[in-house]
Parts: sequence; C-alpha cells; structure tokens
Amino acid sequence: MRVELFGLPRERAGVAEIELQVDTLGQLFGVLATQFPSLGDLIGVNHLSAALVANLNGDQFVSDPALPLGKDDRVLILSADAGG
Amino acid sequence: MPFGYHGRCLWIDVTDGSVERVALPDSLLRQFIGGSGLGAKLLVDAGQADADPLATTAPLIFAFSPFVGSPLTTSAKFAVVSKSPLTNRINDSLASSGFAIAGKRCGCDAICLTGRAVRLSVLIVDDGQVRLESAERLAGFTCAATEATLKTDLGGDFQIASIGPAGERAVRYATISHDGRHAGRGGSGAVLGSKNIKAIAVRGTQRCDWAYPRQVTEYSKSLSKRSFGPATAKYRELGTAANLLAFNRLGALPTRNFQQGCFDQAHSISAEHIRATYNRTRASCVACTIGCEHIYALGDSDGVRLEYESLFALGPLCGIADADAVLRASRRCDEIGIDTISTGGTIAFAMECVERGWLDEPWLTFGSVEAVRQAIELVGRREGVGNLLSEGSRRVAEAIGHRSIDFAPQVKGLEIPGYEPRALQTMALGFAVGSRGADHNRSGAYEVDFSDKVDRRHVTADAVRYAIETEDKAALMDSLIICKFLRGVFEDFFAEAADMLRHVTGWAATADELRETAKRIVSTKRQFNVLAGWTPDEDTLPERFLNTPLPNDPEAFLSHDRLRSLVAEYHRQRGW
Repeated sequence: MRVELFGLPRERAGVAEIELQVDTLGQLFGVLATQFPSLGDLIGVNHLSAALVANLNGDQFVSDPALPLGKDDRVLILSADAGG
Repeated sequence: MPFGYHGRCLWIDVTDGSVERVALPDSLLRQFIGGSGLGAKLLVDAGQADADPLATTAPLIFAFSPFVGSPLTTSAKFAVVSKSPLTNRINDSLASSGFAIAGKRCGCDAICLTGRAVRLSVLIVDDGQVRLESAERLAGFTCAATEATLKTDLGGDFQIASIGPAGERAVRYATISHDGRHAGRGGSGAVLGSKNIKAIAVRGTQRCDWAYPRQVTEYSKSLSKRSFGPATAKYRELGTAANLLAFNRLGALPTRNFQQGCFDQAHSISAEHIRATYNRTRASCVACTIGCEHIYALGDSDGVRLEYESLFALGPLCGIADADAVLRASRRCDEIGIDTISTGGTIAFAMECVERGWLDEPWLTFGSVEAVRQAIELVGRREGVGNLLSEGSRRVAEAIGHRSIDFAPQVKGLEIPGYEPRALQTMALGFAVGSRGADHNRSGAYEVDFSDKVDRRHVTADAVRYAIETEDKAALMDSLIICKFLRGVFEDFFAEAADMLRHVTGWAATADELRETAKRIVSTKRQFNVLAGWTPDEDTLPERFLNTPLPNDPEAFLSHDRLRSLVAEYHRQRGW
C-alpha cells in the first residue's frame, strides 16, 4: 500500500509518497514514526497526534489502529487543522 | 468594574469630533465579554439595524477585550463590527497587533463611530482625547503608506488602522488594515470610508489591572509553551498555504469559480513550490508566540504575506497557475485594501459570465494573469467593469441576470472561502447558516469534515451538533479574544477559557457559563440580522452546489432536501 504525505508531515519527512507493507493502520503509524524520526512528536503508539489525521483512499477519515489495509489502499496523512 | 476592563466605551460622532463616554455595566461585559460579542451587543443596542450600512447613522465599532494587554499569547486583537455593505447583515471582522493594545490604553473597551467628517480625515484618539485632522493629503494612499506617513507625522508610538483607496471609493469588500493585517471580510473599510475617515490613530497610557496577576503570568507561560508544540507546527513551518495540495487531493479545492474541486496545476502554486522558489521570512503579530506569517520576497520592494485563502482565491478559483502572479495579486489587494477572498470570488464569477457570453469583457478569462491583475486595478479605482465588480458577486449577478445568481459564489452576499461545499458538507451547513454569510472563521465546521465523526460527502443530521460546537467555540474565541490557531492546544477549551477569564477579571466563570455565553453571542448576531430583515430562505447555498455532483466525484453530491433538512435541524437545535 502507499502513503501520501501532505503539508507538515511531507515537509518533515522530506518525501511526498512512500510504499509500505503493513496490515493495519496502527502498524502504519508505527512504521512512519520509526522511519521518519522528524515525525516523532506528531505520531504516537497506534495513533496520530491531534495535529494530524489519516484518510483512506481520499474518502473516509480513519483513526482505528485495527483498521485493516489492503495492498491497493492509499493512506493520506495530513494536518488536522485545515483553517485558512 | 471588573479587572481587565475600563468599563466604558467611546461613542464618537466624526461629523464634529464630539465624544460621549458611555459606561459599560459589569453584567453586560460578563454576558458578552469583548471583541465580537461586545461589538455585536453594542451594534444591536444602537438601534440602526435597518439603516443603510454606509449611512452616517450606521455605527462602526472597534471592540477590544479583557485579555488585550495581558501576557496571554495571541491576545493582541480587536474586532471591527458593523452592518456589512456587502451583505446588509452583521459583519464582525478581526485583526491583530499593536492597534488593539494602544486602543485599549486609551481608556476604553470599545471605540464606536457614527457620522461623517466634512473632509477626508484622520481620527486621533490620544489617551482618550479625541480630535480630527485633515487627511486630504493621504487620499489615494495605500494602507501601508498611510500608516507610515501618519507615524512620521504624529509619532511612532501611535498605532494606525487605515483604509486604502478601495475603502475611500466604497468598494463593498474593502478592508481596514493595520500593520499588514486586515479586518478583511464584509467591507468594514467601506463603512469607515463612508464616514470620510482615512485612518484612526490611537495611543494611550491607561492600563487595566488583572484580578490575579501571578496566575495570569503562570497561565500565560504555560500557554506560550504549549503554543510551541505540534498543535501549531503547521502554522510555524509552512503556514496555512499548506492546505492547498491536501484540499486538491480530496477534491475540495475550489477551481474556476467552483466548477471543479481539483486544479490540475496545483503543484505550481503550492506552498511547497513557493517555499522552494522564493526567499521567505517569518513574522508574528504583537504578543504572539506562534509566528504563522510567512512573508515571501518578490525581488522588488515589499514582500507579501501569503495565506491559503488568498492563494486559492487568486489562483485556482481564477484558473491561475503562476505563483508569482498570485503573490503579486495578493500584495496588490493588500495595498489597495480589498479582501482577497471576495476579490478572487467576484473576478472568477465574472470570468464564468464572460465564458457564457453574459458579460462583454472578452479579456476577462480564466487563466489570464493579466486579466486578474487588470481587474484588481479596476476594482480599486472603480473604473470600467471594476465599478461593477467592486459591488461583489451577488450584485454583479443581479445586474447581469440570466439566473447567474445560481453560480455566484456567495452566501448572503459574502463570497465563499476555499472549501468546496459538496466535498465538505458540514462546512456547507456552516456556510449556509453563518450570520455574516459564507465564512470559515465564524464556523470551523471543516474540522468536523476532516475527522472520522462524519462522512464528509454524505453528512447527516448527526453533523449539526458538531457544526454548532465549532460555531460556539469560534464565537467565544472571537470575544475573549485569542487566535484560533491556538485551538489545538486546548484539551478542554471552555474550561481553560473559564480559567483565563477568572484569572484576568476575577469573575467566578465556569465552562458551562461560557458555553451559554457563546450561544448568547451567536444569537445576538442573529438578532441583529432579524432586525435587518433576515428571512429563513437566506440560510442556503447557491444552486450550483445543490443537486449536481462535483465533476469527477459523483460522491460529492448535496441535494436540496438534505441541505434543507440540515438547516432546519440547525435552527431547531439553536431554538430559533
């Protein structure tokens, strides 16, 4: 599956998109935190900080760490605060 | 009189500079606090809801708050409240920085203007003493040039709020500007211009004591520390412009007058691209620890502060993919003194009318950098088609006919900010019911859409209470006043707001009391609108957004019936 990063997480990680092999959303958070230490204060164990949100395939916003992810899924990580 | 207040406001008739110092009872201050709440209450009580907003009798109110002058981060803010010449409904617009502190040090909690000066004038409030001086030499000056000139003439310790040439010419979305920040929405600059006031200069020495100084200081330190954390990192590191690519990915980026939700050239005007291309500096309002302002150098004179709303309105909404052009257009709007959202919305609407053959201005086409540049200049001068565009998209549609009102991008006359309503439907409700029209600052309902509380493209009645919560929270933040960019640092905002208010004023305020206060403030704005002629039919969206899905996203569909039922449920829960 692929992870697309937007805004702050993209800026911190230095990449826009990465490919990962994980089974659940919680695993995805863990891998991101390990792979990108600069995201450390934005990602906790099995959850994102309140500053970020995750979206599945451009449709639903998701937070359940047990949510299963398939190989064709795309998870978007973006700032929770959309104010302009 | 409670701590944190002077307990009075100044009513100034700028026709002759006469002043009435009016006491503000403790009970009124506690019920409405300050900022937007206090301003709305004073406006209702002035009894001019049915007056033309540009009439001499129509009040224009600058309202401060108990937190102004305290060390609470982001508290140096003021609200400008009046009837809007764009919507004919209430308008409360906020701006930041030293004007708030200096204005409150004049010994008042609000400065209220009526009348019309006999010539273009500067209103000077010097430690509470009021005088008028000619500003005829400043006619046509930009906001920044006006401030600089007056600081030279009057003294650097004066703080200036001013209008640009657009305010002098009553452009209906003219701003009031201070130190590069703008009370932007709803045309308060036209109201000040209608009073023949080019600028207000304030300075003073009168400070308010706090009820519990040690607690105020300790709490302020804690809040400042939290303001350096992850909840505000987005604002520090990229600024609000970071929204653009995320919105584009979600199909929520208004493009070509809301005809699409994606812009195929979004990358070329993204915050990431602009940051990599232009030299950037960061800045803060006075008394702010966040530092959200990202100022980009353009290689000539002044740089430009760039926010998402300016970027979307002068970029994708007009089909513009040239970052340099968007930055320059945004800067020009600031110089002239016009709201970037209404400017971009009105120009984009005119572009679609040209495409449909309803407006004979063949040069005004989507994607034309020169067209946007020229249109802004014409609006600022009210020349040619600019005279029509300076009225805002609703009045342009009324003039053009052809049922063009169906796709004029406005609610109650206020142009819609950068959130596609079909893709973000809790926000769609927030836009429809907003007291000042389509507005992202008085309703933070987009937060709900960006969460797993709702399905953003299929919202149900469950979303209504969340929309109300964000509206109530915004009403309280705008009345205390503290910056909404802090909202993520609070675990329980109403409880912490009660703590802050207790430390400053000495009131035994509680979270429950402030929840009621927030509802009272929202209802007071509604009360003004009812007195001004509001009808339930106004709480809706343009036809474009109803019963037609977004191109390329059939899921982004909002029916008439669903919006109607959401609005009805909103009214029911509000008790209206």
